[in-house]
Amino acid sequence: MEGLIFMLPPFAACLTLVGIHGYFGIHVLKRGIIFIDIAMAQIAAFGVTLAFVLNIEEGHPLTYLFSLVFVCVAAYLFAALRCKKPKICMEAVIGITYAVATTAAVIVIDKAAGSHEHIKEMIIGSILWVQWPEIIKSLVVYAVIGGVHYIFRDKFIGLSEKYEAQKQKGTKVMWWDFIFYLTLGIVVMHSVRIGGILIVFAFLIIPSAISALFSDQWRWRILIGWIAGTLVSILGLFLSWNLDVPSGPVVVLFLALFLVLVILIKSFRAQKEAPV
Amino acid sequence: MDTVYFLAAPITASLLLAAILSYFGNHILTRGIIFIDIAVAQVAALGTMLGILIGVQDGTLLSTVISLAFTLVILSLFSLAKFQHTELSREVIIGVIYCVALATAMLLVDAVQGGANFVQKTLTGSLLWVSWNDIVQMLLLFSLVICIHAFFRKQFIALSENSEQTTFSSYNRRLDLLFYVTFGFVIVQAVKIGGIFLVFMYLIAPATLAQLYTDSWNKRFVISFVTAMIGSLAGIYISYQYNFPNGPTIVCALGALLIMSILAQQKRLV
Repeated sequence: MEGLIFMLPPFAACLTLVGIHGYFGIHVLKRGIIFIDIAMAQIAAFGVTLAFVLNIEEGHPLTYLFSLVFVCVAAYLFAALRCKKPKICMEAVIGITYAVATTAAVIVIDKAAGSHEHIKEMIIGSILWVQWPEIIKSLVVYAVIGGVHYIFRDKFIGLSEKYEAQKQKGTKVMWWDFIFYLTLGIVVMHSVRIGGILIVFAFLIIPSAISALFSDQWRWRILIGWIAGTLVSILGLFLSWNLDVPSGPVVVLFLALFLVLVILIKSFRAQKEAPV
Repeated sequence: MDTVYFLAAPITASLLLAAILSYFGNHILTRGIIFIDIAVAQVAALGTMLGILIGVQDGTLLSTVISLAFTLVILSLFSLAKFQHTELSREVIIGVIYCVALATAMLLVDAVQGGANFVQKTLTGSLLWVSWNDIVQMLLLFSLVICIHAFFRKQFIALSENSEQTTFSSYNRRLDLLFYVTFGFVIVQAVKIGGIFLVFMYLIAPATLAQLYTDSWNKRFVISFVTAMIGSLAGIYISYQYNFPNGPTIVCALGALLIMSILAQQKRLV
């Protein structure tokens, strides 16, 4: 029983993450910008690191502001690049942003003590120790962003599926894209604080990859992603508690296993139905 | 004079890496599998880590063999499978491979002595401490790879340009596998010295910059090569002047070069 109470906050945190990332993941997969969240997370982390070096206390509003400013700049950059369409592949820009943000953080933090541990922490996070206030704060932010996305769902979905058509219809594509990237950036900023980069990345792409195998409709895909994410979170947290191993990596491995199983089952069924 | 002597090895190493990786970058970019090397590098690091866990020291031949074996298995799967599942793009598969390798490494990190240190080392590398021995090894390996690539030059370019297609003759399949195997060898060696991010940047940034200006493969090879060289030298110089770690500084220098040329390009278009 004690274990159950202890596991309640991490479980709630997982569900919160599954909720918002299950949705954003579909956008990300449709746009083919798989690594965007790692880049965004790293940019936000660079803001935090900079604040840390400037001796601003952790948890101070200024730290948050720093991250937000960097995320804003990145969102503008991504939106502008997509709109102007120079001869550059979007994934390349995302990757380069990721690499530069990470290594810049390494340069800045080089002198601080315990930087090895800091990097490890940033990757695996500490979802087991997450507190209710943090979860509720994130939940409120996600709810607002989710609401905005629900109200303007035609715009956002249109942008992810048929960018050119929207552009011709006269939508201000660049600004809508900016809002898309900004909201995604804010979500990732909060999620990374709860779960670490690894778990956020996995929740973003794996559930929506699973749902892509079953359906093409947004409503079904979101639902399937949520179910898969929830099941795996329960299983992963339970096992990590019992075996006393870090929960983030375990949840991620189970998610991947789930995806592989689904692919295998699907390919067997496909073979049965249509022998080649 | 002492500093020149001290920096000679890192400079040589970074130029070698710049040369080979900027070449591969053009292929990777054309194939649209930008993140393959981060995934592969992570798999290689996982192999080294498993080696440490069963008592094989980092830096020994056996440890290299283990991480090489891991890398080659993953790359062969990637090359041979030519994923029939059209619902899932190759980038998604790469992302999942990366995720799994990173997650497994993180599970092991506490079991391995100095695990956290090792994680940072795979990210940022240890260019400053490279030995002449390593450099000679690299030189031999890279020359071999370059020879193979020079020999199959036309075929490899054709494969990269048609990487979307799913039906290949068995000859092309084997060539594709050869491409990935040579790539795997280079990445394992390069990551050991430069770290994941430097390798990634050498691959992607110069090639992206080259693509801004031309479509011709030969010109792209030259532009990306020159860019990588300038970025390395500038990075090492700045890192020496201001006492920054040099791998990360080269990464930032390459990033700055790319941003400047994008801006220049935009202006020219307007």
